[in-house]
Amino acid sequence: MQSNDGVLSDIKVLDLSQGVAGPFCAKFLAGLGAEAIKVEPEMGDPARRAGPFLGDSDDLETSALFAYLNTSKKGITLNLDVPSQAQSLKELAQDVDILVESFAPGYLESVGLSYEDLSGTNPGLIYVSVTPFGQSGPYRDYKGSDIVAQAMGALMYTIGLPDREPLKVGGESALYTTGISAFSAAMLALHVRDAQGFGQHVDISAMEVMTVAQIHSSINEQFGHTPIRRPTNLVRAKDGWVSPGLETGVQQGTWPKVCELMGVPELAEDNRFTTQEARRTNQQALLEVVGSWAATMPKEEIYHTLQSLRTITGYVATVEDLLVSKQFAEREFFQTLADPVYGDVVHPGPPFRMDDDSWRLFPAPRLGEHNEEILGRA
Amino acid sequence: MKKSWVGHRLVTTPNHLALDGLRILDLSQVAAGPYATMFFGYMGAEVIKLESRSRMDINRGRARPGPNDPRVYAGGVQGERPYDRTAHHIHRNINKLSVTLDLADPKGKELFLGLIKVCDVLVENYRSTVMDRLGLGYDAVSQANPQLIYLKISSQGATGPEANYGSLGSTLEQTAGLASVTGYEDGLPLMTNEVYPDPVVGILSFGALMAALRRRRQTGRGCLVDLSQREVTSMLLGESVLDFSVTGRVAATMGNKHRDMAPQGVYPCSGEDMWVAVSARTDDEWLGLCRAIGQPGLADDARFKDTWSRQANHEALDEIISSWTRGLDHYQVMHLLQTEGVPAGAVLKGSETIVDPHLEARGFWDVVDHPEAGVYKQTTTPWTLSKSRRQPTVPASGLGEHNYQVLGGLLGLSTSEIDALVEQGITGDVPDPSA
Repeated sequence: MQSNDGVLSDIKVLDLSQGVAGPFCAKFLAGLGAEAIKVEPEMGDPARRAGPFLGDSDDLETSALFAYLNTSKKGITLNLDVPSQAQSLKELAQDVDILVESFAPGYLESVGLSYEDLSGTNPGLIYVSVTPFGQSGPYRDYKGSDIVAQAMGALMYTIGLPDREPLKVGGESALYTTGISAFSAAMLALHVRDAQGFGQHVDISAMEVMTVAQIHSSINEQFGHTPIRRPTNLVRAKDGWVSPGLETGVQQGTWPKVCELMGVPELAEDNRFTTQEARRTNQQALLEVVGSWAATMPKEEIYHTLQSLRTITGYVATVEDLLVSKQFAEREFFQTLADPVYGDVVHPGPPFRMDDDSWRLFPAPRLGEHNEEILGRA
Repeated sequence: MKKSWVGHRLVTTPNHLALDGLRILDLSQVAAGPYATMFFGYMGAEVIKLESRSRMDINRGRARPGPNDPRVYAGGVQGERPYDRTAHHIHRNINKLSVTLDLADPKGKELFLGLIKVCDVLVENYRSTVMDRLGLGYDAVSQANPQLIYLKISSQGATGPEANYGSLGSTLEQTAGLASVTGYEDGLPLMTNEVYPDPVVGILSFGALMAALRRRRQTGRGCLVDLSQREVTSMLLGESVLDFSVTGRVAATMGNKHRDMAPQGVYPCSGEDMWVAVSARTDDEWLGLCRAIGQPGLADDARFKDTWSRQANHEALDEIISSWTRGLDHYQVMHLLQTEGVPAGAVLKGSETIVDPHLEARGFWDVVDHPEAGVYKQTTTPWTLSKSRRQPTVPASGLGEHNYQVLGGLLGLSTSEIDALVEQGITGDVPDPSA
C-alpha cells in the first residue's frame, strides 16, 4: 500500500446522518480515504436548506453548510419508511465498515435497521449514533440544537458579559465538536476492531460532549469557586481587536521592551506594571496604556510585533483574515475546489497531517447523484 | 505506594480494554494535550506524564504560591503540596502516572530516550521548536524508536512563519476566527472564558492518534502527527470560509440568534441568573411552542407565520416568550417545551450538571476520591462504546509519585541509582523552589 492512499482507503462508510454533527464525522472519515456514501431522504438532508447560501436559497445545491460538511462522499437517496428501500439499505450495510446515523433514538429500530439488525450478519460493523442526548436516559427523546447543547453542557453559562445574558459560542460549534467526538470514537472502535476483531455500537450525546468541553465550571464549583461571566480584555486596534497578552506568561525582561516599543519607556519603572502580578492587579490601567498605542496600529502588526518579544498575543481574525494569513498559506491549509457554477470554493483543509498522507477532498454530492451507480436507478 | 506502574490495569477487568498495551509518554501541559491523554487513559492506555521539577505543568501552579494566587485549590486550601491540589491539575491529569526528569541535563535526556524506546507514543504541546532545541525532536526520538508515534499538538503547526508563536486557548479563539463570530449582536467579539479550542483539540487528538496507530499497523513504522490547534479551531467556521470565498460575505457575531431558526435565544427564568435556551427550526416546532406557552392563537398571528416573519419580528416574539418563562423554573420550561416537540434546554451551571438526572442515569460522572481533594465528581469521555467501556477514573497523581516505579520498572534502575538522581535534582517528588 502507498502511504498516500489514505489511512482509511480500505474502509467503507455509510453516512445516514443529517444536519451538522454526523456529517462532519463522516467528512473526516472520507477525508482520510474511506469510501463514503451519504444516504439522504428524497427531500434531501435539511442542511441543504440551511445557510449560508452561495446562490438561490430555494436551490438544494447552494448551501455552503452542506457543501462543507459532505465533501468526499458519494450521494444516494432512499426513503427508509418504504420497506423495499430499507431493505436496499440493509443490503448496502452488509458490506460496510462504519455506519453513521443521527436519527431520533428508536427510529432505525422501527424500520428494521438497528445495530442488532445489521450486526447479526456483519459483526465487524461499527455503528455510530450521533444525537442530542444519546441513546438512553430520561432526555433521550428530547430534541436538540447547537444552543441547546451549549446550554445543557454548562458551557454557555459562563460565556458573555457580566451584565448580559449567557452567550453561545458562535456558528455551529457545539455540533461540530460533537462530530469531532464521533470521529474520534469511530476511529477508536476501528482500532479495537483492527486489534481485537469485533465491531460495536458507539453512542455520542451532544450534551455530554459539551459537558466535557466546559473545562472549568463543574470542577471549580466543587472546589469552592463559582465561575461567572467576565468582562472582555480585548483592546481595539486600528482595524479590529487584539489581546496584547501582557498580564500572563511574560518573562521579566519583556515588559521594558514593550514599553520601549510603545514609546513610553518611563513605564518600565512604573510599579503598577513591573511584575506579572502587578499587571494583572492593574489590568484596567494596563489596558488603557496599551489601548492608546494599539489604536493606531493594524491588528496583525501588533500580533507579529508582540509575538516577536515572546508574549502570548492574539488578534481577532475574521474569515477574510484567515484566507490571507501567511501561516495558513505556507502550510497550504486551505484547498480550493472548482465548482461549475460558483467557481473557486475554498475549503479548510486537513485537521492534522501524518507524514505524506494526503487529505482527500472532492465536492459534496448533488442530491441523488450516485443513485444510478450505486442503486441502479435514477 | 498505593498504585504500581501497571496500576491502571490492576484495578479493572482485563478484557476488552480498547487501548490495552499502549504506553504513552506525555509531555503535554495546560489543557489540549492533557485532555487527549486523559482520554487515552480512560480507554486503557498506560500514560506516563513527564514533567520537570523546575517546569511543572502550568496546571499545577507554583511551588510556593502567594496568598493571592488566582488558581483554584481544592477546598480553597493550598496545603503542603499546593501543586498537587489545583483544580485544573486534579481535573485534567487523571489516569496518568507522574514522573519528573530534567530534560536539560544530559543524564535526563538519556533517561528520556530510554523511555522513548519502551513507549508507543510521545505527546507534547510545547512551543513548536522546544523539542528540537533540546535535541529531542522527531529525528532524535524516531531514531531511538522507529515505531514511535509522535503526536505534536502545537499552536500553529510544526512549520510556517508563525510556527514558534505562543498561544493560549483564548488567543487561538481569536487567531482561528472563532471570536469573530462569538459575541452579542453589537459586533464586539468575545472569547469563551472556557478556552474552547483546548477541549476540541484534545478530543480530535484522540482520533488523530487512532489514525496514526492504523498507519503504523499498515506501514510497520511510526510517524509524526502534526496537529495545529489554530487550524483545527478554524474548521469550526468551515461554512463561513466557503461563503466568503464565493460571495465575499464576512461572518460576524449574531448573539444567540440563528440564521435558519426563529425564535432562538435564551430566556430568563425564576431564580437569580437562571435561563433557558430555546430554538425552533420548523413550523411544527413553532406550533408546539405556541401550545406550550398556552397561546395557541399565536399560530394565526401574521407576524410569526413562517421562519422569515419570526426572524423579522424576533424582538416581539422574545417579549412574548420571556413573559411566560420569567415565572418558571428553567428545567420546568425545558420539559414543557420538549413535551411539545420544541428543542429547549436549561442553561445549566456546573453545579447543576453534576446532579442532572440524565447525566446521572447514563453514568456520565465518575465519583473520585482524590487523596488531597477528597470526593468529587469528574467529567469522563465524550463517547460511550457498547463493548469497549471506559475504565474508572484513576485520581491525578502527586508530582513524581511514580518516579521509582517507572524508572525502576521500565528502565531497570536500582533504588540507589534513582536515589542518586534525586540527589542531583534530575528527578524527585518536590518541585525546584523557583518553579
